[in-house]
Amino acid sequence: MRFPYGPAAFSMLILSILSGIWLLLNPVPPKKATLVMWTFAKTHYDAYKQAIPSFEAKHPGVKVDLQLVSWQAVTSRLQAAFLSDLDVPDLVEVEISAAGSFFRGPLKDIGFRDLTDRIKQSGLYDRMVQARFAPYTSRGRIFGLPHDVHPVMIAYRRDLFEQLGIDPNEIETWDDFIRIGRKVTIPGKRYMLELPDSESSRFEPLLYQRGGGLFDPQGNCIMDNEIAVQTMMFYVPLVAGPNRIASDLGGGQIFTRAVEDGYFLCMITPDWRSKTIEVDVPKMRGKMALMPLPAVERGGRRTSTWGGTMIGITKHCKYPDLAWELALHLYLNKDDLAQRFRDTNILPALKEAWDHPAYDEPREYWSGQPLGRLYAQLAPDVPFQYTSPFVSVAKGKLSEALVACVQYYKQHGEKGFEEFVRKRLKQSADEVRRLMRRNPY
Amino acid sequence: MATRPTEIPVPTRAVPRTSFWFALQSKWAPYLFVSPFLILFFTFGAYPIVKSLVLAFYVTNGPKSAVFVGLENFRFLLADDDFHKAVWNTAVFAFWSVFLQLPLSLGLALLLNSVWVKGREILRLTFFSPNLLGQVFVGVLFSVLFIPQYGLVNRFLHFLAKVPLDTKWLSNPDLVMPALVLTSLWMYVGFNMIYFLAALQAVDKDLYEAATVDGANAWHQFWAVTLPGIKPVAVFVLVMSTIGSFQLFELPWIMLNNSAGPDQAGLTIVMYLYQTGFVTGDLGYASTVGWTLALGVLMISLFQMRVTGAWKGGD
Repeated sequence: MRFPYGPAAFSMLILSILSGIWLLLNPVPPKKATLVMWTFAKTHYDAYKQAIPSFEAKHPGVKVDLQLVSWQAVTSRLQAAFLSDLDVPDLVEVEISAAGSFFRGPLKDIGFRDLTDRIKQSGLYDRMVQARFAPYTSRGRIFGLPHDVHPVMIAYRRDLFEQLGIDPNEIETWDDFIRIGRKVTIPGKRYMLELPDSESSRFEPLLYQRGGGLFDPQGNCIMDNEIAVQTMMFYVPLVAGPNRIASDLGGGQIFTRAVEDGYFLCMITPDWRSKTIEVDVPKMRGKMALMPLPAVERGGRRTSTWGGTMIGITKHCKYPDLAWELALHLYLNKDDLAQRFRDTNILPALKEAWDHPAYDEPREYWSGQPLGRLYAQLAPDVPFQYTSPFVSVAKGKLSEALVACVQYYKQHGEKGFEEFVRKRLKQSADEVRRLMRRNPY
Repeated sequence: MATRPTEIPVPTRAVPRTSFWFALQSKWAPYLFVSPFLILFFTFGAYPIVKSLVLAFYVTNGPKSAVFVGLENFRFLLADDDFHKAVWNTAVFAFWSVFLQLPLSLGLALLLNSVWVKGREILRLTFFSPNLLGQVFVGVLFSVLFIPQYGLVNRFLHFLAKVPLDTKWLSNPDLVMPALVLTSLWMYVGFNMIYFLAALQAVDKDLYEAATVDGANAWHQFWAVTLPGIKPVAVFVLVMSTIGSFQLFELPWIMLNNSAGPDQAGLTIVMYLYQTGFVTGDLGYASTVGWTLALGVLMISLFQMRVTGAWKGGD
């Protein structure tokens, strides 16, 4: 008997019947894990892999599936999954610059569970650095537990400082730093500081150091206030004009080469970046050291903050109490935190954890300095950093303002500079406000 | 008496046995066979298109919450500096890409169509091969080539013309677009060359012989024989390159480290659509941007086809 539509159609029919039968006989196995957790940082993933077996041992029958997911996937895929009610993990670590974007829309539509009551009732709000809850708070509700503090210091080439006769102890304020920087900077060959002139990643810590920010606690855009103007007027002459002392080449291999060549003498370095420098520039072992950030004025704040991570529990999670226990297990165990600090150089947000001897261990790479203690001493002074669902837009607009101010300064110098800075920052802030006004939620 | 022609019996097709099931399947089987395509098309093609048109009249926070705003999105778009910047950047990129790319592609094709060029097969493969790489790979590659101080581009230009080694191609707003155009040229000149090469090989050789007999020199032959001969392909390449340029996204996104670059110098319309939809979370406004882009590209393509006379036929 011949199939009336020819052999091709017959093959398709047979294939579809066979694949249908195969799928029926091999259904997708049900999820075995009790909790699924995403993290975007390899260092966190490695550390949690070691910590999870003890959690599972404490909770017989519980299985945790830890997954390393790219940063982009966490920010875009998770966001899309939240909005579309698709399958999402139970716990997620989110990077600070993306956190705000998860808090848009009505509170009821936020994909993360409100942890405010758990955090306050457990006393964690006082046991952790309070400033670090700010980036994960929206409309007064806390949606994430902070993983870290990320105080900022200055990493410098100790060997070159000694050769050039620079005593870091004499640098107390930015004025001191700039004065020395102008002496040792050789344009095109050596710069006192690594600072970009085309994006705001290093501008923001300096803005926070002065008590400024992109948003206030109520979520209003404040990136054109007096502090922002003063920060911009301080920053731009560092990276442009005849007296510049800073430059930037980029990350990765080029950064390695630049540090090795002595192209940069100093780098703004939060705790996490100290590990990046150790890994990326291994030849500088014993030649690097850390000093506090110069203060804006004598007696002022000697640090800031750059970067961060929170852990949140999604509304999708079927076992929120168990997920909360896992979050506490990963973020509060002092011995685990100490080991994680040894592996990553990241200071945890839990203040009592800093008493561990690990934080006093001298580090050979950093010329024998006790890296943990140096960062821990600065941690209580870390500034607040408020966020908004519009934080990504605001960062972009701030970068645009920075580029415009740099271009103006290159062409006109100090003449009319302050007026231009005010006008340009206001323009950027107004654009953010205009977008915020469109938000009907 | 006229004789009646002998009637030739017309062979009649055997009437098939008509059962209910046979009649049913012969009626519905064609629909069954086209149904996979139709289901996929309506699910992933038609429905999203219609849905995005509806969304263009809403401000959304993802698909769950949407507020009807009528034409407000389009009003906002008209006054949106970021969108204007994206349109300007995309248009500049399209202009330079097309008007540098097409003559270069045609020039290369003419060169490789000449019998006196040795190793034409290898050269064809060499010029085409950048297109075998994905845009993401090319983006990563060129972001390394363009790095200041140690990058190959700066080293070469410094050697050639004393261009400063610390020239920041990807962080100087004035240099971002030239860097993108250069990268795009590297990637697509060889690709378009293949189209032109195929068109050149299809031009009737007799026409050249006739032109030679008439005393036409090479330049006259190019204008009078070659260009009219490859015109349909040239119009196709022009329209496709323009459409491709207006859809630019991956290359600047990767080269500028997942951003629009300094002062948004690398912001394209599709990048702005992505940022609006998936960073700011307003799928409604992103749909407005998408539909505006689609209509814009349609109008430009129609204009190009009208100007080049593509509708008049192949002559």
